[in-house]
Amino acid sequence: MATNTVPDIDSLLVPTHDEFARQRAVAAIHTHAMLRLRFDCRTAYERNVKPAFEREHGRAPETGAEIAEAIKGDPFYQFYSSIRYNAQEMGPLARQPAVERALPAMIEIAKSAAQSNAAGGSLRLDPDLVVPDYMTEYDVHLAAGSYHSEFVDDDVAQGVLLGRGLSPIAGKGRITKNRNFAGVGQSIAHWLKAKYPAFAPRRMLDMATQSGANLTAYPKAFPGLEAHGIDVAAPGLRYGHAKAEFEDVAIHFSQQDAAHTDFPDGHFDLVVSSFFLHEVPVPVTHQILKEAYRLLAPGGLLVFMELPPHKACDAFMNFAYDWDTEHNNEPFYRDYRSQDPTELVVAAGFPRDSALELTIPDITSFDMDRYPAFLKGEIEAPPHGRGGWFIFGARKPG
Amino acid sequence: MTEANGAAGAPLAGGRVLPRVIKGKRSQFFDDPTMDQMMTFFMELMTEVMVLRDRQDTLERMLEEKGGISRAELRDLIPPPEVEAERAADRAAFVERVLRLHEPVGEPAPRHDA
Ligand SMILES: C[S@@+](CC[C@H](N)C(=O)[O-])C[C@H]1O[C@@H](n2cnc3c(N)ncnc32)[C@H](O)[C@@H]1O
Repeated sequence: MATNTVPDIDSLLVPTHDEFARQRAVAAIHTHAMLRLRFDCRTAYERNVKPAFEREHGRAPETGAEIAEAIKGDPFYQFYSSIRYNAQEMGPLARQPAVERALPAMIEIAKSAAQSNAAGGSLRLDPDLVVPDYMTEYDVHLAAGSYHSEFVDDDVAQGVLLGRGLSPIAGKGRITKNRNFAGVGQSIAHWLKAKYPAFAPRRMLDMATQSGANLTAYPKAFPGLEAHGIDVAAPGLRYGHAKAEFEDVAIHFSQQDAAHTDFPDGHFDLVVSSFFLHEVPVPVTHQILKEAYRLLAPGGLLVFMELPPHKACDAFMNFAYDWDTEHNNEPFYRDYRSQDPTELVVAAGFPRDSALELTIPDITSFDMDRYPAFLKGEIEAPPHGRGGWFIFGARKPG
Repeated sequence: MTEANGAAGAPLAGGRVLPRVIKGKRSQFFDDPTMDQMMTFFMELMTEVMVLRDRQDTLERMLEEKGGISRAELRDLIPPPEVEAERAADRAAFVERVLRLHEPVGEPAPRHDA
């Protein structure tokens, strides 16, 4: 790394004793809501809500939406929701002061990284790009400013704030052992190599890469792979570029809408994405998948990590997942999950028999001695979000 | 592209530039919205109690290890991983105690985070 002069942009984020404590406290409440109260809600549902619904309708609720309506007045549900909502809201609030203090210096690092491109990557921004309405009308995930807002010139703040889930700014501590949001790229790359040993992608694209947290794993796993990441939001691209340059990973970031990019037809052997489609309207999902089809070379692979669809979960799980639709400023969440991933890729032009849907282990927490058994189909991956990740995809004929 | 509520092009001295208010309708979970507001007060207070617990723990450790404290050192001190691990367990137990909900009651709820 002798030529690499880009400093570690993250090292500038230095919370005070109390800010750090506050971030951890908020994360502790959020974890309690997600891992304990959310599932205790099932007990409240089975005991109180479901019998009342059955008395009234002569049957049990059949969909998550029905449960969401029936459970509204249940006090346990109300407290669970309120606790979770407040913890979600307090996350960014607890992190903002340290980001604000570091901002001028972070911007300087990002600017110099964009000039030196010491690792061989690049950053291409488009000041004329129109950020879609569904991003500007409300702040997704209850984070003020969302992904795209810029408050100062060359801003990186929203990229830093939202690129880290609820994890605190300093220290490597994650919320829980098995929910490593940045483990998705590593897990898919590992699975691809194991599943398709002959697959040697030359060029890849990560759609809605935010700050590339799940992109850098691919060029590391496939040496020589030319890696591109696009997003409509500039702050995350600037921040991600500086981080990648510091890590000495060449990534080409560009500010583009995934529904219509400026790359030529058949440009990529691999198109991936993670935590993306549930945040866009379903018609846009269709456009994005069509664009992915256009961008893939013959024989190229599409692999998207996403939420498991309704069809893969029981009514209660669907209710528990779809809470975000009304309460986390993610209005397309339920509609997205009501889609069948296989039908989505078929509608985009992929052959039905190439469609895949499965849950793969998160390799940052999985016992890798058991990976061969997973590949042979002898054991299942842990559930999505709790040690596994749901993926779907397809292959372009070639 | 810079948003209107920001200080576009203004010299940045590390001051307050990010918005604290969220765009979009806030969820109301209780029949009476004052209850939603009370919950926010309560969650903020609960968080601050946890911050104070960490501070107290830091003070005790400083006193034990050094026989005295330094306020400047305290302000910036980030706990080493082994201390943070102890505190994480303490926080989880604290949250569990304080958020003692009346329902569901009876048999312990199944744990899904194993
Ligand atoms: C949850 S984040 C993605 C996280 C990232 N893929 C990862 O795994 O770390 C969702 C991202 O989608 C981006 N986005 C939304 N609509 C988009 C579009 N039409 N084209 C490109 N990016 C978009 C947002 O700016 C945001 O960065």
